[in-house]
Amino acid sequence: MKTFAELNFPGRLIAVEGLDGSGKSTQIYLLKRWLELQGLKVYLSEWNSSELVKTATSKGKKRELLTPTTFSLIHATDFADRYERHLVPLLRAGFIVLCDRYIFTAFARDVVRGCPPEWVRGLYSFAALPDLTFFFKSDLEVSLKRILEGRPQLKYFEAGMDLHLSSDPYESFRIFQGRILEQYLAMSTEFNFLVIDANQAVETQQAVVRELVTQRVSLANFNRDERRPAKPAAESLKKNKAEAPRQ
Amino acid sequence: MRAVVKNHIVVPRRTDRRFYGYGIPGVDLEQLAGKLIVVEGADGSGRSTQIARLVEWLEGTGHATVQVGLKRSTLVSEELEKAQEGNILSRTTLSLFYATDFADQVENIILPALKAGFVVLADRYIYTLMARDIVRGMDQAWLKNLYGIALEPDAVFYLNVPPEELVQRTFAKNAALDYWESGMDLGFSRDMFDSFMKYQTTIQNTFRGMQTTYGFTIVDGMRSADAINAELQKKTNAVLAGK
Repeated sequence: MKTFAELNFPGRLIAVEGLDGSGKSTQIYLLKRWLELQGLKVYLSEWNSSELVKTATSKGKKRELLTPTTFSLIHATDFADRYERHLVPLLRAGFIVLCDRYIFTAFARDVVRGCPPEWVRGLYSFAALPDLTFFFKSDLEVSLKRILEGRPQLKYFEAGMDLHLSSDPYESFRIFQGRILEQYLAMSTEFNFLVIDANQAVETQQAVVRELVTQRVSLANFNRDERRPAKPAAESLKKNKAEAPRQ
Repeated sequence: MRAVVKNHIVVPRRTDRRFYGYGIPGVDLEQLAGKLIVVEGADGSGRSTQIARLVEWLEGTGHATVQVGLKRSTLVSEELEKAQEGNILSRTTLSLFYATDFADQVENIILPALKAGFVVLADRYIYTLMARDIVRGMDQAWLKNLYGIALEPDAVFYLNVPPEELVQRTFAKNAALDYWESGMDLGFSRDMFDSFMKYQTTIQNTFRGMQTTYGFTIVDGMRSADAINAELQKKTNAVLAGK
């Protein structure tokens, strides 16, 4: 698998991963604001499903029809839709695309549900790797507290109830999140996660994130006003487009 | 005294079961006592006729049957139908959507039925799904991994009918050729007839290419329905006998 930069896309993809309650969404939002205020072409891809896939997913979830395999496949379908119709065009148009969660969420979650890791990775092999992946590493207890403090209604699959870890949704959620954290940590080196200590102040984390982005992405290339010569880029893209899927 | 009707019911012999790839987590293959028979072929190749006759014959000989087919899952069949009408999903997405539909039926129909010792008759299986995607340029290794969730059937019958004859049979039933069965999305030709012929020929070649890997029986679909069914019954009998 290659990154978008390695595939000669003009755009760059920055992903954030982490447990629910790790503060990653706040961090990526602040990153987006900072890039926007510099006049850069940036797009925050929200994990909204397409209408079509959404009806199927919510039906499956409502009726608790999903098994680990169909759960994995329906989310892969959803991701493929976003990837092909949304992310790839933006990256070809030279945007910095920020993704709140990417394929690693699926890797962690599906494997915890019992799907073979190689199978899951194979499913997602059509997708290129992010150019940067920030992993917000929080203490399990801190994340759990942030989510569970308001005693929210935990949904069946969200709490991992399908795994029958506990009949109490809150206890099930704790165990489930703990297992997901293990999976994230196991992937950290393999996929070059930039690990951010999510127990620090919001500002401290954001300073580190901005510093790393400045170091690793040539931000000047993403100026909204800059009109770059279109022709040679388009040529090399055509070639790369054919090679882009599943490396 | 009236002649006694022969009541000789054969109990199917168990054989080893395998998934094509990683399979589905949590399935005990030992428990799957039933048999899985797949009938493949283009629209108009006589699949439904042959399956209906097999069902009648199997039930007559004392076997419980269940039928499955593509786009019949409770989970995503409606949405798949809509997606196709609008032709709005890109290739990987549509492919995964079909795989979801297939997996849902494997888990909710095929596996429980096999566990209960039924003979499952599948009107098309992963081969059609793979052939359609291969023709559209999808990566074969990717497809192989994806459909590694499928059980190896006990028999696969591919009803082979040349495109020239498929066209005739389609027009005997319907007024028009189907958009997808004509492969119109591939842009072979704006002429639907030309596109249908090219597409069906390409699909047939792809099936022939898969035959060595998946070892299915190519059945000459140009014969009478009786003759074809006699062949299918003979081969199904062998399956029931554990051969």
